[in-house]
Amino acid sequence: MAAPASTKTRTEILISGFGGQGVVRMGQILGLCAINQGHRVTMLKSHGTETRGGYVRAQLVISPDEVDSPVVEHADVFVAFSAPAYKKFYDLCDGTIMYDPEMVSDVRHDAGAARHVAVPATQLSKERFSNQLFANMIMLGALTRVAALDRDAMQRAMLAVIPRFHEQNLAALELGYTLPAVV
Amino acid sequence: MATVDPALLPNLVAPWSEWERRATRGRRLLEAGTYALTEGAIAAGCRVFAGYPITPATDIAEYMSKRLPQVGGYYMQAEDELAGMHMCAGASLGGLKAMTATSGPGYTLMHDAYGWALTNEIPLVVVDAMRVGPISGITGAPGQGEFYVARYCTHGGNFETIVLSPSSVQEAFWLTIDAFNLSERFRTPVTILTDQVVSDMWEDLFVPDSTEPLDFVVPRALNLSMPFYPVGSAALDVPPNVIGHGTGVCVSAYTHTEEGYDIEEMEAQWAQTYRLVNKIRHHRAELSRYETLGLGDAEVIAVAYGANARTVKTGVLEARRRGVRAGFIRLITLWPFLDSLFERDARYVVCELNYDGQLVREVMRAAPDKRNVHFMGKSAELHTVAEVATALEGVARSGRVPELPFIWTEV
Repeated sequence: MAAPASTKTRTEILISGFGGQGVVRMGQILGLCAINQGHRVTMLKSHGTETRGGYVRAQLVISPDEVDSPVVEHADVFVAFSAPAYKKFYDLCDGTIMYDPEMVSDVRHDAGAARHVAVPATQLSKERFSNQLFANMIMLGALTRVAALDRDAMQRAMLAVIPRFHEQNLAALELGYTLPAVV
Repeated sequence: MATVDPALLPNLVAPWSEWERRATRGRRLLEAGTYALTEGAIAAGCRVFAGYPITPATDIAEYMSKRLPQVGGYYMQAEDELAGMHMCAGASLGGLKAMTATSGPGYTLMHDAYGWALTNEIPLVVVDAMRVGPISGITGAPGQGEFYVARYCTHGGNFETIVLSPSSVQEAFWLTIDAFNLSERFRTPVTILTDQVVSDMWEDLFVPDSTEPLDFVVPRALNLSMPFYPVGSAALDVPPNVIGHGTGVCVSAYTHTEEGYDIEEMEAQWAQTYRLVNKIRHHRAELSRYETLGLGDAEVIAVAYGANARTVKTGVLEARRRGVRAGFIRLITLWPFLDSLFERDARYVVCELNYDGQLVREVMRAAPDKRNVHFMGKSAELHTVAEVATALEGVARSGRVPELPFIWTEV
């Protein structure tokens, strides 16, 4: 495996799952939050032609300086929202892998593997909100804690990006941020 | 604090390196390249968009349909790309700045309209957001297959073209203003050759307030006096034609006189070609836009444009970290081709998003020794930093690009 790129200031975040899980929305809020805090941000989003059900990936690079390569080759955080995504991008992460155990059951435990954090976002969303729609905000809350990002700034970015259900989304964000697994 | 080697500070030669310092009040957004291209056009004074939607340029049409009515402009959904570009040419002749946007499959349909705009010296801007081909290829994957198509965008020869390519969302904004400026100044359609990554990628984008006076925008001027077509001359400061003012200027596809009337004489053909070719060739310096890095001591220079120049640049820095004296050239002006950038006697590694090799052929022509020009073609996905660094290291140490999966090195 090649050595990491010389630009050490950059933070690379990879989020992947199925279409409809809110992967791109998560990335958008994360990216806007970083911009509002004065950072430079790139976000590549790739998806199949389907809007729902297809494979989706968001690659974010956040840096105090201008970002050259927008491609995540050494993710600091990898959020896996599906088993195929976990399998496909496992090798790209040398930091922390956050996964939803309802989607990813077969977790690898190789020697020197990335740190794994289980975030039962889909299950919690169904339990708390009777709807799995808020799983991405629960995961984003957990990610905010894991990546040591500013909670208030993330809330503001979320409110600016999401047009509806502010109350539930704020509650979901807080639920993720205070999960025992990430505190 | 770490010291930065001054040789490794990127050198950007483009008018917006200064514009960025002048426009201070504005908003910082997270937006896509398509949004930046649209807002750049509006800021440049574009008031007409006519076109036909196609991935990955559809969002430009959608944003334009929303934005143009807000600023007193006109959005027209055409029946196809050919009609869309003809409508833009007509709008420009009527006195308004116009733009159309498409991807490769639509771009090939515009060749007739290109000819009309070129020969009648009609300023307008065409965006081609390249996706991998041939033909429909993969809608959501980037390609760089129209490097030569954009140069030879119509039949018949006897012309030069201006083609620019941005590599970031922010640059797409400034470069679109620049494209409009150049189209006014050179009286010609200007092509923005972008790609699916720059179009679809979201990045931080600074957009100046609409109250901010952008005094670098070249305004549309009226030309109500002879000559309407300064044939036989390469003069630039001649405003474009505006029809409908009782001037009697004629617009036709044929070789023409200074009034625009058809003429079938060899002398007229010579004079018209002289103008269409030399108004651009004689002003190459004014059209040069590029970025370089590390050329001072480079023995191997990576060459790229558009989105993949981003990963290639990081790859160059990574190669330098591994002890390779690597340099970087990013072309922003693709046409007229900037031959003078390739005068250094070094090895060149041309990274482009196609397997057939297009840009590499021009670099082979311009470089001192074409045997030292190497090709690194990839298709449908950006080169990775690891691939570029490995290739530069391989060329520096053994004179060849090592074998890598999905990388093509034969031209």
